[in-house]
Amino acid sequence: MDFEGKTSVVTGGAGGIGRGIAHALARRGSNVLIADTNEESAVKVVAELMAFGAHASFCETDVTAQWSTDEMVEAALEEFGQLDVLVNNAGVGGARDFTFRKTPNIDDWLATFDVNVFGIVNGIQSVEKYMLDRGYGKIVNIASIAGRSGGAGFTAYGASKAAAINVSQAWAFKLAPHGINVNTVCPGLIWTPLWESIGEWRSLTSRQHTGMTSRQVFERAVAESVPLGREQTPEDVGNAVAYLASDRARSITGQALNVDGGIRMN
Amino acid sequence: MSIAEQSIIPARQADWKQRDRHGENLNLKGQVAVVTGGATGSGRASAGKRADRGAAVMVADINDSASAATAAEVAEIAGRSACFRVDVTDVGACSDLAAKTLEVLGPADILINNAGVAGAPNWQKRSFSTEEDWKMTYRVNVIGMSNIVTAFEPQMAKRRSGRVVNIASIAGREGRPSLPHYSASKAAVISLTQSTALELARYNITVNAICPGLLWTPMWEQVGERYAREVPAYAGMSARQVFDVMIADRIPMKSEQTPEDIAETVVFFTSYDAKNITGQALNVDGGLFMR
Ligand SMILES: NC(=O)c1ccc[n+]([C@@H]2O[C@H](COP(=O)([O-])OP(=O)(O)OC[C@H]3O[C@@H](n4cnc5c(N)ncnc54)[C@H](O)[C@@H]3O)[C@@H](O)[C@H]2O)c1
Ligand SMILES: NC(=O)c1ccc[n+]([C@@H]2O[C@H](COP(=O)([O-])OP(=O)(O)OC[C@H]3O[C@@H](n4cnc5c(N)ncnc54)[C@H](O)[C@@H]3O)[C@@H](O)[C@H]2O)c1
Repeated sequence: MDFEGKTSVVTGGAGGIGRGIAHALARRGSNVLIADTNEESAVKVVAELMAFGAHASFCETDVTAQWSTDEMVEAALEEFGQLDVLVNNAGVGGARDFTFRKTPNIDDWLATFDVNVFGIVNGIQSVEKYMLDRGYGKIVNIASIAGRSGGAGFTAYGASKAAAINVSQAWAFKLAPHGINVNTVCPGLIWTPLWESIGEWRSLTSRQHTGMTSRQVFERAVAESVPLGREQTPEDVGNAVAYLASDRARSITGQALNVDGGIRMN
Repeated sequence: MSIAEQSIIPARQADWKQRDRHGENLNLKGQVAVVTGGATGSGRASAGKRADRGAAVMVADINDSASAATAAEVAEIAGRSACFRVDVTDVGACSDLAAKTLEVLGPADILINNAGVAGAPNWQKRSFSTEEDWKMTYRVNVIGMSNIVTAFEPQMAKRRSGRVVNIASIAGREGRPSLPHYSASKAAVISLTQSTALELARYNITVNAICPGLLWTPMWEQVGERYAREVPAYAGMSARQVFDVMIADRIPMKSEQTPEDIAETVVFFTSYDAKNITGQALNVDGGLFMR
């Protein structure tokens, strides 16, 4: 198995996609540390992974604080003795109440950049010294197809995801000579708590979506935009992450891969 | 039901276990794969890797003797394989290949469009692109790919499943003065990949491209030979020395890419794991290009 004896940390691992990533890695033999602010959901994911026979644990982590991601890395090393894979997946669509605003306000800009960009920077900065010393490491960041080009509406989120792709490239360059790969996955449309709030935002702020449930908004987006005609799943993202984090992909670095049924082609 | 409960993961668990051989989902058992240009270089590695994962492989190449040897290698691993002499620029030969594949191995699940040339014969001896270089690269690298997809489309469409992987190149990511005809043809491959992905999505067929970086294959031996002659900085070097210097100077990871690396990426794109990835071009180049 690709990750037998290895250890992965998944930030935002308590959420929809993070859980899919944690499962994909655990199924391939990895120990998994779930790093999230949401203890209640995280504990459930840890229990699922253990039921599956994997070694898993939880570390309460806020990726917007460097001290917290430092603690996350220490926790992984203490619990499992080594750290091979870091998946920076924690993300937000805006400030807590973003669904009520048609256009993002300063709180949304700060929240998206705090978590979606600085969260990745913090995660990498906490782990890079350890990986450099070891001459081995795999980092996979979760951006979004929203970061592939600008568009009206969800501007703060899209800009933060474009920055996430750029940040991944910067560290890919820096770490390339040292046996450390840094890649990005850009998910398309995946039904998770985050998308539930995006659907809510659209039904509250866009006339075309008034009166629709969040799931209806989602299904309409899938029908209108996905060439393969179906939604993507947390499992799809997990599988792509597992490939990029494996030694099979040892010559791939600095790349961003869309897992989106063909919505965007790069 | 909450979103977490609705997630498909637990429901799939039994399914997963069944499919697992390596503890992951890259098993291709029972599938039929066609590899064009499969006789040598990276096509040969792809054919071998597919066989390794249980697929029956059709090795299709213009080079008859080398493809028979590769097919024999593949048969040793997977038990089922065949080879067929095909010039991908010949539409009739491509439909014969499709018919032959159906007859001896069954309907194709996977197409690996890997056949490629860097110019018309003796291109490595020239310092400029001739009209023949332009025509030949376009005919083999681009139109040949389209010919193969067209020939196999009915087999895949009928079963509402299929995976196509096109081998492009990082040369297609950016224009450059050496071998402009080759770069342009590989840019066209990326574009063709996107068009084909959109066209075939309705049949649940995914189409992706791989852009390899620097692979030490027969093709690169010739590229190196040409650079040693044309580029003052490489004067007097062997092809392999030119290759090594380029790796050291240009590849962020400071290591060469291998046919094995490309074969692993092909396996990923053609596996169940990548069922929702289509229209993408992925660089396997040690970080040389990041777009
Ligand atoms: N759902 C989609 O369609 C989609 C599409 C493209 C990209 N993405 C990205 O995928 C990632 C996961 O999203 P999801 O859809 O699973 O959302 P989600 O809301 O289900 O999960 C996000 C997780 O991140 C955690 N988190 C938020 N802020 C944090 C912080 N400061 N520190 C630590 N953890 C924090 C949350 O507690 C939650 O568990 C995000 O980066 C998101 O932007 C999602
Ligand atoms: N070697 C590299 O560094 C590199 C880099 C990027 C992309 N590529 C691409 O990878 C692919 C494989 O290249 P390689 O390096 O293994 O080269 P190669 O020359 O070793 O293999 C190419 C194969 O294609 C076959 N072929 C050529 N014309 C054909 C035709 N008309 N019909 C059928 N088969 C034909 C050849 O017989 C040969 O077996 C090519 O598409 C090439 O452009 C190679």
